[in-house]
Amino acid sequence: MRPLIAVCRLLLICASGCIGPFCAAQSNATDAPRSADALARIAAQIEQYPVIRAEFLQSKQMLAMKRPLVTSGRIVYTRSHGVLWQIEQPYRMSYLLGEDRIVEIGADGSRRERGLREVAGLAQIGRVFRAMLGADAAALREYFDVAVRGDAGKWEIDLKPREPQLAQVLTGLLLTGARFVETIQIGEVGGDSTQIRFRNTQGAAAPGETELQLFGPGPGKR
Amino acid sequence: MTAMRVRACLWLLLAAGVAIACAAQFAVRPPLQTNLLALLPATERNSVAEDAVGRLADAAANRSVFLIGHRSPEVAAAAARGFAERLRDGETFRQVVADIPPLELKLLSALYLQHRYTLLADLDRSALAAGAADLENRLQRKLYAPFRFGLTLSPADDPFGLTDAWLAGLPLKSLKLEPENGLLVSRHGDRTWVFVSAELKGSAYENDVQIRTAQTVSGAEAGLRKNHPEAELLRTGTVFYAGAARAGAEADVDRIGAGSLLGMLLLLYLVFRSLRPLMLGLLSVGFGIGAAAAATVWVYGDMHLITLVFGASLIGEAIDYAVQYFAAHLGAGANWEPMAGLRRIAPGLAVALSTSLLGYGVLALAPFPALSQIGVFALTGLSAAWLSVFLLLPALLTRPSRRDPELAVAIPQRLLVWWQAHMSRRACVVLALVLIALSIPGWLQLQSNDDVHLLVSRPAALVAQEEQIRDLTGFGSSGLFFLVEGATPDAVLEHEERLTARLAALAAQGQITGFQSISSFVPSAARQAQNHALWRDQVFRDEPGLVELFSRAGLRDEVSTQQIAAFKASSGQPLTVEDWLRAPISAPLRHLWLGPTGNGHAAIVVPQGVRDLSRLTAAAAGLPGITAVDKAASVTRLFRDYRQWGALWLLGALCLVYSVLCVRYRWRQAAVVLAPTVLAMILALGVFGWLGTPLNLFNLMGLVLVLGVGVNYAIFLREGGVRAAATLAGVLLSAGTTMLSFGLLAFSSMPVLSSFGLTLLVGVSIAVLLAPTVLSFEAKAAA
Repeated sequence: MRPLIAVCRLLLICASGCIGPFCAAQSNATDAPRSADALARIAAQIEQYPVIRAEFLQSKQMLAMKRPLVTSGRIVYTRSHGVLWQIEQPYRMSYLLGEDRIVEIGADGSRRERGLREVAGLAQIGRVFRAMLGADAAALREYFDVAVRGDAGKWEIDLKPREPQLAQVLTGLLLTGARFVETIQIGEVGGDSTQIRFRNTQGAAAPGETELQLFGPGPGKR
Repeated sequence: MTAMRVRACLWLLLAAGVAIACAAQFAVRPPLQTNLLALLPATERNSVAEDAVGRLADAAANRSVFLIGHRSPEVAAAAARGFAERLRDGETFRQVVADIPPLELKLLSALYLQHRYTLLADLDRSALAAGAADLENRLQRKLYAPFRFGLTLSPADDPFGLTDAWLAGLPLKSLKLEPENGLLVSRHGDRTWVFVSAELKGSAYENDVQIRTAQTVSGAEAGLRKNHPEAELLRTGTVFYAGAARAGAEADVDRIGAGSLLGMLLLLYLVFRSLRPLMLGLLSVGFGIGAAAAATVWVYGDMHLITLVFGASLIGEAIDYAVQYFAAHLGAGANWEPMAGLRRIAPGLAVALSTSLLGYGVLALAPFPALSQIGVFALTGLSAAWLSVFLLLPALLTRPSRRDPELAVAIPQRLLVWWQAHMSRRACVVLALVLIALSIPGWLQLQSNDDVHLLVSRPAALVAQEEQIRDLTGFGSSGLFFLVEGATPDAVLEHEERLTARLAALAAQGQITGFQSISSFVPSAARQAQNHALWRDQVFRDEPGLVELFSRAGLRDEVSTQQIAAFKASSGQPLTVEDWLRAPISAPLRHLWLGPTGNGHAAIVVPQGVRDLSRLTAAAAGLPGITAVDKAASVTRLFRDYRQWGALWLLGALCLVYSVLCVRYRWRQAAVVLAPTVLAMILALGVFGWLGTPLNLFNLMGLVLVLGVGVNYAIFLREGGVRAAATLAGVLLSAGTTMLSFGLLAFSSMPVLSSFGLTLLVGVSIAVLLAPTVLSFEAKAAA
């Protein structure tokens, strides 16, 4: 479930571009038990790898831009250290997402670190992240109405923000995949949208040396 | 006879007046004050600071906070929502908030977007000032970031992320709580705590508000227990403390009042074996207490709980004057003549009253509202009780007593006769020296305590819950805040910025977790002008370059033209405090702005999560317009200063009492009369040392009262002499009722009163036990 987790985590970070509390909304997902089963199966399928690496191609459609903005690079998810999002094109920039911090790593290796607690509204990400590690469907459902289509061999997960706070920014998320997550689509309220496509996804047993170096020391590595 | 009637009529008139005054004051709404802050003396030299203390307390007073905890987040959320619903049903609260309305992003951007060209985050300001604008890099980061950190504006509104950084730096989230599923939660260990806050409909200090709150909350708690037996509930709020203080005081009043009254009636009956003294005693005491209550409310507008409880214990002392009259009645036997009896005891009563009045007069002059109110209450109460003896009692006690006085006090009298036979002057001196020697080690062990909580009793269960809530949420502060003053609103902001720069450094060192300040939301005009200049020089200086940069990055052409136009249109118009106060997002922090004051304008900066108060106050030292205000520390300092001055006060009071005694007894005999009381005070201090009870200001004030009250018994004995068994009966009765009342006071729920009660109990007991020394000296002198 790692890339799924990683991706959902990214999405949540996108989504929680909001300050302050979320408003309550009652769950009206009638197919909740079925979604939970499906989610759990998909999770179990991906769960077996401590480290997953993939290449990504991201395309952002923004109203302010003349043409879509395309970036590509690599993503490394580790169960122990967090997520490394390395942009290679059109310029080099890395983002490290830990349990309680976000680090921007420039092309020259300079690091800009921010604690999740310092940024309003970001801290619950880590929690959702943990919940998803345990394939905790209930936790996903805290933030989204979840609809799962297909089976463990070929699936689609539709996430609609439940809370008005999230809905102020996000219209919805769509994940598709087979063994691993393959595509993600993010719709924003302002009309901007993002597509991310993963290729050459591979599971591994442990992070590599260079990756470990990038994750670096410091608190909250998980 | 007619004179007696006239006196009695006068008393009736006065009593009617008191009754009407009490009825008028207490019938509508008992003017009982439960605000603990009202007890504290004014400590701040700056009146604006004193006002600010009140404003901050008021802002917090009507809010109650609850945390509902459970292992399962879902159950905790459901339990909290159910709890909040039941709180709402009670109609006690104006507003109960569990589900937090979403922060409208539009509201934030509405305020800040139009002022974006005068705002910069600290890091960006120093980067721009250093010429390291690095616009291309900033633009790339904004566009290519794979996800959005916190609140971000569109690239068209904020292409370089400078406004994003400003918004991210706003201290909007000051508590440790996280929004989750519409609720505010805190996680600790395996528990999830859900935050529910409620705003009272009335004042937290009103009796019916306290009662209704208690009912509503316990109803909601019962519902919580029923539906979710494993859920935990924590609460805090001024209303709970005030309610607990009131309940404690009422229990005290019941216990002390009923105990004193029953004990007094029993003792009176045992000695006089007649119901008439009981009735007359009740009338005299009732008149005294009634007059005291009426006078206190008249002077202060209300009566504090502490005064009420102390008032209940005044019963035992107020009865003393009547008791002396009854004793004279008993002693006269068949030869009773009401006015003659009065004349005989009048001088003794006058001296006794004046020494007591001196003791309480010292209290009335004390710079503590709590003490001076007690002083006024006691002065009026004792005077009125004394007046009753002169006006009312002669008319109602005309028939002679049928009881043999010897019978009433057979055993104590034998003791006294023994004392006279065996306790020579030398024996008395030796006894005194031995007692003093015994108390010296006690003196050496004396400790002191100047904690502000002496005045404010806080139930341990509530304090524990408050501390837990503080740990879980960061709610609540150390009580220290900074008062920021300036001639104009903008000067206040400038002074604040100098302070917050130092506070930010302390926060970076982990000395504080953060601070609430208005300048975090509204920089001073000077800083905004500086920001605007940086925008102009570092961002918009090269317009063609900017257009080129945007075009190269793939932004639409409109973006650059709109940016340049918007910057020109803004013309550096700064955001003002008025703008901010009008904006909905300022609602939770508006109380920090004090507005116009006598000295200009003022605001408050509240540090949070304070580790070391001294470093914090040091940080503010030397800054213009900044005063560190710590009410609790100021009061504690005041307590300590006055405790240290207490010895001088005592000495002064001693001289005053001595001079009063000298008027009646001349200097040598006056010293004899005073000696047992002085010895009692010395021994009482020794007893505190031996018991390990820390000494506080109120023990010392209690000693002043021991002086005023304890000397009475020596006076009564000196006046009556040992052969007048009836006098002895009176002295023993007086001492019994007084010690009963003060003994009960020692168990009061209020630390101040229990200090008083303990001091008085110990001191007066010793004074009574040693009072017979007067006889040893008198006997030899007479012989």
